[in-house]
Amino acid sequence: MKWAGYKNLEEINEHDDAALDSLKRRVTLAGVVILCFVFLIFARLWFLQIHKGEEYKSRADNNRVRRSDIMAPRGSILDRAGRELVTNRPSFNVVLVREDSNDVDNLLTKLSGVLNVDISLLWEKIRDAGTRPRHIPIRLLEDVDWATLAYVENHNQELPGIRIETTPSRVYHYGDLAAHAIGYLGEISREELESRDPTIYQGGDLIGKMGLERLREKDLRGEKGSSYTEVNAKGFEQQLLKDVEPLPGNDIQLTLDAELQKVAEDIMSTEEKAGAVVAMEVKTGRMLVLASNPVLPLEQFVGGISHTNWNALLENSKHPLINKVVQAMYPPGSTYKIITAMAGLATGVIDKDTVLYCPGHYSFGNRRYHCWKRGGHGAVNLKRALSESCDVFFYQVGLRVGVDNMAEYAQKFGLGHKSGIELEHEKSGITPTKEWKMEKQGRKWQEGETLSTAIGQGFNLVTPLQICLMTATVANGGKQYLPQVIEKITDPDGKVVNQFEPVVVDELKGEKMHLAEIRDGLVEVVQGKRGTARQVRIEGLTIGGKTGTAQVVRLAQYKHLKEDDIPYKYRDHAWFTCYAPAEDPEIAVTVLVEHGLHGGSGAGPIARAVMEKYFSDRLPLVEEKDGK
Amino acid sequence: MLRVDRRCFHNFDWVLFFLLIAVSIMALLNLYSASYPPLSSGMPAYIKQCYLFLLGMMGILFVLSFDYKELHFWNYPFYILIIILLVLVLFAGNTAGGAQRWINLGFVKLQPSELAKLMLVVSLASYYSRKEVEGGYGLMDMVTPVLLTLLPFLLIIKQPDLGTALMLLIIFVSMTVFARLRLQAYLVGMGLGLGASVFAWFYLLKPYQKQRIETLLNPGKDPMGQGYQILQSKIAVGSGGNFGKGYLEGTQGHLHFLPERHTDFAFSVWGEEWGFFGSLFFLGIYFSMLLWGLYAAMTARDRFGVFLAFGVVMLIFWQAVINLLMILGFLPVVGIPLPLVSYGGSSLLTTLLALGILMNVRMRRFQTGLGHGQGEQGV
Repeated sequence: MKWAGYKNLEEINEHDDAALDSLKRRVTLAGVVILCFVFLIFARLWFLQIHKGEEYKSRADNNRVRRSDIMAPRGSILDRAGRELVTNRPSFNVVLVREDSNDVDNLLTKLSGVLNVDISLLWEKIRDAGTRPRHIPIRLLEDVDWATLAYVENHNQELPGIRIETTPSRVYHYGDLAAHAIGYLGEISREELESRDPTIYQGGDLIGKMGLERLREKDLRGEKGSSYTEVNAKGFEQQLLKDVEPLPGNDIQLTLDAELQKVAEDIMSTEEKAGAVVAMEVKTGRMLVLASNPVLPLEQFVGGISHTNWNALLENSKHPLINKVVQAMYPPGSTYKIITAMAGLATGVIDKDTVLYCPGHYSFGNRRYHCWKRGGHGAVNLKRALSESCDVFFYQVGLRVGVDNMAEYAQKFGLGHKSGIELEHEKSGITPTKEWKMEKQGRKWQEGETLSTAIGQGFNLVTPLQICLMTATVANGGKQYLPQVIEKITDPDGKVVNQFEPVVVDELKGEKMHLAEIRDGLVEVVQGKRGTARQVRIEGLTIGGKTGTAQVVRLAQYKHLKEDDIPYKYRDHAWFTCYAPAEDPEIAVTVLVEHGLHGGSGAGPIARAVMEKYFSDRLPLVEEKDGK
Repeated sequence: MLRVDRRCFHNFDWVLFFLLIAVSIMALLNLYSASYPPLSSGMPAYIKQCYLFLLGMMGILFVLSFDYKELHFWNYPFYILIIILLVLVLFAGNTAGGAQRWINLGFVKLQPSELAKLMLVVSLASYYSRKEVEGGYGLMDMVTPVLLTLLPFLLIIKQPDLGTALMLLIIFVSMTVFARLRLQAYLVGMGLGLGASVFAWFYLLKPYQKQRIETLLNPGKDPMGQGYQILQSKIAVGSGGNFGKGYLEGTQGHLHFLPERHTDFAFSVWGEEWGFFGSLFFLGIYFSMLLWGLYAAMTARDRFGVFLAFGVVMLIFWQAVINLLMILGFLPVVGIPLPLVSYGGSSLLTTLLALGILMNVRMRRFQTGLGHGQGEQGV
């Protein structure tokens, strides 16, 4: 056996005895050190137990100080104008202190009778508390009404161990407004508890579970205070000694505009539409509207959501739990023609005067690719192709440019990658390339697929936020901003802790002229005689936009049906994206209505309503008298 | 298996064995009280500790079955295994209180950092006994032991487990001072140590850890926050008086004023229930066990035996002293258990294995090596 350079064990053994003896003598010294410490410990024990014994005994008997937490009020969430969206109110919980109750069984039976709650539910709460010390209150019922509160307060002699605890709880002043972005709170779970600093979180605490409440937990939560109470030898509370006030959390001011957001959400809800409305400032990247419909019922989450309500949300076919602004992907449809046009102009395969002929279809390979207008558009240039959304024109541009070039420009406009907005589970979307297809599907790219890609069908997938970003980038002359949700964070004294400045992520350089040519076409979409979004026009405002229709399925059996007869889930998605004022763009608005059929009629009016609100103080009076 | 020399039975260390049994029985009684009344539905802590104690006894039998000299060979494989476990625990470990410390083996949650303490004792003992230098070790001789200590130290501090990491340093310092350095090595070592602590204070320690140290230096600053635990512990021990409140009668413990009363603060419960004389009795036996361990070091047959026995005694001694000084309000709350007394499987098993090594050294004190007649034939 050989190891570490030794031939065998015997060799290690040979040391001179004198050295060994001197080593052993030093052991005696260690013994002296041990005895010194033992003496120190004994002396300390004598001091504590004999000398000060009586004093500590009386402290143990009469003067026991117990500490309990006081919850910190969470920071408020405000809109850009400082309107309060979410604040706190006191809520009252019925709690049980096991130590003060000698007959929990009897107590719970009594309680479940008078308060009309299932006794097994109460036992479950006690089981959940598990090994928590017996003097720490267990929350039996959260956020009870005044009648319950009054009953418990009046009968506290008959309910030993039952107490009322006051904690701050969330109030939503605007109801479910921007619910997906704001998110909700819930009781901290065991897993969350284990992975967090135990000096900050304890069982029973509320913690952000979704949205900004979760992402900005650190800013919002504040610091708990403590309350010190004297308790007697049996553990009953005697008197309050002192309170250390909690430190409230920081307030978060959003970039969202509550009024604008409300317009968007109201119109979506009253018309029972599922989809998303997104609006941003084109020169800063600040988000004004982030609406996803159906909304999340925030009130149901206060004090814990019930199983029935949760299952209803899960099973709803319109998916209220998904934030459709960033978490859902759709084919971009004709809105993607902006990308195809840009790629065409930038690579020089077309210019603004190139005329292509549309007979209503385009033959490629052995297939015929149709234009949406069966009769054909005739000879079209770029401006007309955009305003009337001619498919055949863009088939040909797409073929000349090639799929990889289109993808490159799509990336530059913010498609195909996450924008980095401060929202959860953002999807990156797909901008297909030849390489992408080889990697994902292991098959070669078919040239026919380039045609579908050019008009925003095929493998293309985008989020509504990405289309809004693309529109803003066209409108502001090529700058891609980081979309921001938070404007600033302020501490309880009103001092700004964190101010968010606009960030440019990417810039399309040297294409100002081409972008202007595309904008000409986009203005024609709304303002032109034959534009696809004439319904969106607002008197006194010039708008540039693009409609889109995203095919859900292409089923022959539904082809000849009237639109109203097609089953809801097979109807096309409707897109409309726009910016205004065209002369000096300020805002970009994107609307996606799931199964809304046509961009111009299905999505356009919602974008129109948002812009009317945004420009309301600048529009001529005629308009106000006229319509609204 | 090995053939064990008949003299080994004859020389079995009955004194250490009975001291260990006495301490263990008192510790289990205390644990029963500390976890009374049972709160959770799972297996009570004292029952778990009983099983682990039996497991540890089997561990001792295993350690006794071979000559401690074999540890020269098993030292490095053992060292590498522990390092792998420490790395593993960082990636796949279970978190508790924000730190990753355990690997769940199903029947027991293994805390490799506990085993790392024993591993360091064996490694350093092996190194210092093999390398003998006239007039003390120089700087160059210290490279290996420093690296041997630093690797597990950094891995454990990463978890983060400040208390255990600190123990590794203390073991290193104790054994190195015992092995004796040259003056210049002492000076350089102290300089580096000082620099490292300043660095640690500003860059490594978490705010709550700093607060604990600050609380100790200036208790008036935070009388009811971090100092609350220590205050409650002092009240518990102090109110025990001469003879204590009686078994299972401690109010501080049972009314939950005492934090972590079955782990780090287990001795507070003993102090409260048995008083000054009870504590004297218990600690008397406890420290006799350690002094007897030093006696084993003095009677060891060779250098390796001396270093092993000394290292094991230091391993237990420093943990005990730091824990007791913390409970009695002399040190900050650092999370170091009282060996054999505090609840915790990995700590108990490590301590019992360490004591097994001590018994091994004592048992084989007359054998002069392997080459002589009736010794073992190797593995």
